[in-house]
Amino acid sequence: MGLIELAAAKALASSAVFLFVTLLMMAAAKRISTCIVLFSAQSAIMAAEILAVGYANKSIESYAVAALVIVVKVVGIPYLLFRIVRNLKASQDVASSTTGAQSVFIMAVLILLSFFAVAPYARTLQLDEAMLAAAIALLLAGAFLMVSRKKALMQVIGLLVLENGILLSALTTTFGMPLVIEIGIFFDLLMGVFLMGLFVFRIRDTFEHLDVSKLRRLRG
Amino acid sequence: MNLAIDLMQVLLLIAIAPLVRGVNARLKVWMQNRRGASVWRPYVDLLKLFRKEDMVPDTASPLFRLAPVILFAATVTAAALVPVLHASALFGVGGDFILLVYLLAIGRFFLMLGAMDGGSSFGGLGASREALVSALAEAPMLLALTSVAILTHTISLPGIVLATVVQNPLHLSPVYVFAFGAMVLVAIAETGRIPVDNPSTHLELTMIHEAMVLEYSGPSLALIEWASAVKLTLIMALLAGVFAPWGMATSASIGAMALAPVAFVLKLAVLTIAIAVIESSMAKLRMYLVPDFLGMASALAILAVAFTALMR
Repeated sequence: MGLIELAAAKALASSAVFLFVTLLMMAAAKRISTCIVLFSAQSAIMAAEILAVGYANKSIESYAVAALVIVVKVVGIPYLLFRIVRNLKASQDVASSTTGAQSVFIMAVLILLSFFAVAPYARTLQLDEAMLAAAIALLLAGAFLMVSRKKALMQVIGLLVLENGILLSALTTTFGMPLVIEIGIFFDLLMGVFLMGLFVFRIRDTFEHLDVSKLRRLRG
Repeated sequence: MNLAIDLMQVLLLIAIAPLVRGVNARLKVWMQNRRGASVWRPYVDLLKLFRKEDMVPDTASPLFRLAPVILFAATVTAAALVPVLHASALFGVGGDFILLVYLLAIGRFFLMLGAMDGGSSFGGLGASREALVSALAEAPMLLALTSVAILTHTISLPGIVLATVVQNPLHLSPVYVFAFGAMVLVAIAETGRIPVDNPSTHLELTMIHEAMVLEYSGPSLALIEWASAVKLTLIMALLAGVFAPWGMATSASIGAMALAPVAFVLKLAVLTIAIAVIESSMAKLRMYLVPDFLGMASALAILAVAFTALMR
């Protein structure tokens, strides 16, 4: 086995663990900027994953998708989010409604839950159980971050984590979507972050805070 | 031959403990752009303290003098359970990681008793805080080590090292990763570093360890300081031995024994630098956030134990 094959195999085998580590650290993180850095690291792991799958299946399209992930998710979106954080001049606190220990504990339960959820499918479909579980765990973790963090920016990060989960589940079950669809998704995502960035500024200007739990006045 | 190596390991751990402390203090000072004392300073301090008179408060019972001795003895015995250079330990046959955890607990218990015996209000304050921290740190430490023990099918520390050292470093079980995370958080709390306790302050509101040793002086203080230095090095050796044993000698051959000290010093250096970076870049937690900090360690340790069932 050559060195590149070996590296690809190792990347596939251990990336699920690294994804779990980023999730647990996101649960423990107290600052928005930490979460952004962790999201960037998580996307870098995804890119390595896509490269490894592409190398194993000899698909050129996968390399293009990996390049897109690096440009958009590892560099582009974190840069945009950092700019928003800097321009907002608001506090960096994620304003979690659960304590740090509770968040890590819930995240651990979500990871275990995703293993139990995918076990029957992984057996029948002959898929890598850890990778599929990581995909489901990313989905659940994104949703958990969105409901438990009160800052509007954390809802954006939660959504991005959730989207990483969708990308990973597509990757593990069908070895990636066609390139055209991937490009569409990334364009969507970029526009989404732009729009949500605008929303965040509007929320700040109108209510002078970013705490979404205080937006109850808007109810009709 | 093996006995000689085992004895040498324990003596090495005890002898270099003050140096590790000195290097750590120097690194911290250097990161904060100050000049700082020599790395040999802790040895000089110990020597000075051993030569001084031992002051005992009027209200104290004989326990006050006894506590530092028991603390030092328990810590040294615990050090004899940890493989350092060679995958064996002096008490490796009779003792396991459970004994290690509770030997450390005995030392801490007597230090708390001694602190309260001193009669000052600071001693009681420090002791009650130490009791809280240690009660919360014990469960994750035991659980994290248990998860590794389940994975390697042995509870003796040399056995765990022998089972881990043959594995591929790039293809480790997630159990190790989560257990390592939990152990790092516990190690910070156990050795009283920032963000749980500040080893270099005498500020009343925040100190834990320093409040307990406030009444001690002379040889008693020297024993306490040395014991806490040994504990720091011992926990570093435990982290290196259980989670990254590569480079440790598994046979008593010359080549393996020559490589082992180099690997050990490298691992120790990495951990010391990591501690210095953490201590220089983080703020100390409020006392009421310490349970939250250790709760994260508990959650990680429980996850590690659960993964031993998933990853067969």
